[in-house]
Amino acid sequence: MEALLLSIRLSLTVSAILFAIGVPLAYWLTFSRWPAKFLIEAIVALPLVLPPTVLGFYLLVAMGSQGPLGRFWQTAFGHGLAFTFTGLVIASVLYSLPFTVQPLVASFESVDRKLLEASAVLGASRLRTFFRVILPLSIPGVISAIVLSFAHTLGEFGVVLMVGGNLAGATRTVSIEIYDRVQSMDYASANQIALGLLIFSFVVLSVVYGVNRYFGRNSGRGIWSPWPAK
Amino acid sequence: MTRSALSVNVRLERSQRQSPKFVLDVSLDFSSGPTIIFGPSGAGKSTLLDCIAGLLKPQGGRITVGSETLFDATANIDVRPEHRHIGYVFQSLALFPHLTVLQNVTYGLAPLPPEQQNQRASEILSAFHIEELRLRRPSELSGGEQQRVALARSLVTQPRLLLLDEPMTGLDAELKASITQDLLSWNAQRPIPILYVTHNDEEVAALGGSLVFLKNGRVVEQPRTNTLDAQTRSR
Repeated sequence: MEALLLSIRLSLTVSAILFAIGVPLAYWLTFSRWPAKFLIEAIVALPLVLPPTVLGFYLLVAMGSQGPLGRFWQTAFGHGLAFTFTGLVIASVLYSLPFTVQPLVASFESVDRKLLEASAVLGASRLRTFFRVILPLSIPGVISAIVLSFAHTLGEFGVVLMVGGNLAGATRTVSIEIYDRVQSMDYASANQIALGLLIFSFVVLSVVYGVNRYFGRNSGRGIWSPWPAK
Repeated sequence: MTRSALSVNVRLERSQRQSPKFVLDVSLDFSSGPTIIFGPSGAGKSTLLDCIAGLLKPQGGRITVGSETLFDATANIDVRPEHRHIGYVFQSLALFPHLTVLQNVTYGLAPLPPEQQNQRASEILSAFHIEELRLRRPSELSGGEQQRVALARSLVTQPRLLLLDEPMTGLDAELKASITQDLLSWNAQRPIPILYVTHNDEEVAALGGSLVFLKNGRVVEQPRTNTLDAQTRSR
């Protein structure tokens, strides 16, 4: 139970931070005309292709007592960053970044540019256009981004193990707990936790797809289907 | 408003992959009332409107409305679209699909207090005969109704000029005539230059005013009235 609560706390924190970072980053990636923008896109997408242990290794080195981030944290707050909840949050934010940014970019890109031009011609600033036009028309992407970042953080294992270790109450998340129980041959309780996580993930994804379908139906766009309507 | 209320002198080059370079090079003066920008597809009609609205930046030239300069390549002046105070009805109409008719129409009135917004909206909705549609969304409107809403949204801000980019595509002749009449009535009370892009002969005849014929990014002819002769069309 302690591990589950810690995982939920971690996922909520990471989702909130990712939303705050992801929205402006996705906006910039969508609309910036900077020629080297693809480099930032590649960096954001790196966690999708890197093994979690690779990302975890470099983060551990950076957060360690001799690493730049670790030394900065030690100077600023008087304690290290590796094997702490804060360290876990930073690592999870980086690891789940593409799961927030990519759905947002896809949604922002799908907004008809003529609507943005119409908004500008009607006197709206870029900020007003974002809040009144882009964001409301990107609700499915926003929901996907939040839910996916939450669910991905909840289920992560490799980065958590590398950066956080296995400290009860501080860094032992639910996925580490399952691993622990399997290592100690306690398959019954490992199964209980794993099944809970499986059901939770299924429900979360069903909600995401359900919401996207609802908004797709109500966006005014015609949806052709090879099957007759019931 | 004086003659030559809008003066446009722009040069814009666009090169696209797998197509020859397009050059828009025009120098035009517009007075109050409708002017039809006529010409074949690819003549640069919409590009010209986008330059005036500030959505495209020409490489050279100058655009002035009355005594105000909107764009001047030499003086490095380029007023942003949101500060140009121009009405623009796009070919796609670009109504905000998530907002009601009333919210669409009052979108450009944000700086005004709510009472004034409501008053202006009521006036314009009445002028275009769409008061009863105020709570509907664009997807619940017919083509003609959407067209009226787009016009109302552009005019409610009391712009100093109105740009219309083939706004009546797909509407039947009767509906076009009715909407054109509403537009001309509105313009009679508030005389501003209206630039109306079309390549439809019926619309040219219905709107009146003067006519500019564009082809390959250049003004072929700028007659005083909008009588399109066979010679002009064949160029």
